[in-house]
Amino acid sequence: MSVLSEVAPEVVERNVAIEIDQTFVDFDNLNVLNDISLSISEGEFITILGPSGCGKSTLLRVVSDLVSSSKGTISVFGKSPEFARRDRDIAFVFQDAALLPWRTALENVKLPLEMGVKGCKNLHVNEKSPEELLEMVGLKGRENALPHELSGGMRQRVAIARALVCKPKLLLMDEPFGALDEITRDWLNVEIRRIWKETGTTILFVTHSIPEAVFLGQRVLMLEAHPGRVKELIEVELPADRCLSTRETTQFVKIAARLRKLLEEC
Amino acid sequence: MAIANNVNSNVAMHRKNKTIVLPTWFAPIAVVIALLIIWQVGVRVFGVPTFIAPAPTDVASAIASDYPILINNFWPTFVEALMGFFVGNSIAVALAIIFVHNKSVERAFFPLAVFVNTIPILAVAPILVLIFGNGLTAKVIISALICFFPTLVNMVKGLESVGKDALDLGRVLSATQNEILWKIRLPASLPYLFAALKIAATTCVVGAIVGEWVGADIGLGALILDATHNFRTPLLYAAVFASSMLAVTFFGVVTLVERRVIKWNPRNLR
Repeated sequence: MSVLSEVAPEVVERNVAIEIDQTFVDFDNLNVLNDISLSISEGEFITILGPSGCGKSTLLRVVSDLVSSSKGTISVFGKSPEFARRDRDIAFVFQDAALLPWRTALENVKLPLEMGVKGCKNLHVNEKSPEELLEMVGLKGRENALPHELSGGMRQRVAIARALVCKPKLLLMDEPFGALDEITRDWLNVEIRRIWKETGTTILFVTHSIPEAVFLGQRVLMLEAHPGRVKELIEVELPADRCLSTRETTQFVKIAARLRKLLEEC
Repeated sequence: MAIANNVNSNVAMHRKNKTIVLPTWFAPIAVVIALLIIWQVGVRVFGVPTFIAPAPTDVASAIASDYPILINNFWPTFVEALMGFFVGNSIAVALAIIFVHNKSVERAFFPLAVFVNTIPILAVAPILVLIFGNGLTAKVIISALICFFPTLVNMVKGLESVGKDALDLGRVLSATQNEILWKIRLPASLPYLFAALKIAATTCVVGAIVGEWVGADIGLGALILDATHNFRTPLLYAAVFASSMLAVTFFGVVTLVERRVIKWNPRNLR
């Protein structure tokens, strides 16, 4: 089983994770998302790319019940986003880590175990302890550091560990590496691929960067702006095992070039 | 050319003179000692009568000889100020929590809070003494009233200082209002609360003393009035010094607690 998914996770039959059907989102008469229809399988890694104002973040927010749609239906693991949120199926990683500055790294990771637990019927907890999760993101020994004592990349890794603590079936990442320097970003890209393979979580990853979108995703969802709508959904035909040098392959360059062209048309 | 030479020689001189690093407490202590010396010498040289302006040594001997009087009047003021501090700040914090959760309550009550704050404390004090009598209650209320407003304003600001991401995180975690209050909003407000408590630490003493001026037979405020009327100026100065020490002590305690509680860097708060 694990061998099969290692070789070609793309071809394995999977259940539907997210089904978005003719969905509209409006903020005060401004149409942000226009007629979005999309189906994502369990365990997929989808990156979302598009010009600013195309509603990339809004798409994540409507899936996680942070905003509500004005028309259309969304189902997350067969449930409404609200119920998926209440069941803790969803974890969110924000652009600026959103750590609580008075809590240590470890205490920040434990936060989801202390909040909103009462109303949650089937709380799944990661078999890895918070300490092990911190180790997994490479922060062993920094458990007791306060956020201001950590670098931007480390803070974001704490946020990722925090997102994994409840073993989410769906991980939503809103430009999590947008504010980091390129070296840290490359490193975290490799890390997030590894974590994805290790956990089998479905990931929706918003980014501004074409190489990041190609490197991470199995499929790239390209949105266009005003109003935000799907431009194209592109299969990334790259091997499942990717390392930083994958970026220099002709196949990678070809896909990136195609995305850039599509982005220019937006 | 001459200027250039000058600059060069200045630089050279700076390099030669190694600066002696003084401890941080040195400068303020030196200033205080210098002022005390100027005061002592000035009063003696110009022959100023003691009942108009006593020399520091006169005040010191008053503190020594009238120590029992000072201490007897110190404790009532201490208790009034401390109770006023707790009552005023507790109400302010509670009200701030209600305001943050209920905007319509804030809209209804905030103008009233501003109005109460605009009335000079010296004008309300007699009214409160009329209502609550000469005892402890009136002084505690006056002291609480003077602490109340800065804490209310700061606390509302602190509770609302929580970043949008942190609130979104709370929502994704399906956190309850209570959990968001206790685990996110209140800790985030602490730096703002302590800023307000530092103000309150000194103003609560002012409130207690003003209350005693209006009507009291014991307390530092009463002693100040009594000493003034009886031309016991060194005792007056000693009483003023004691009030100031009381406020400094409160301020010091608040600062110590703040250092204990707030270990994170408030500049990193978003």
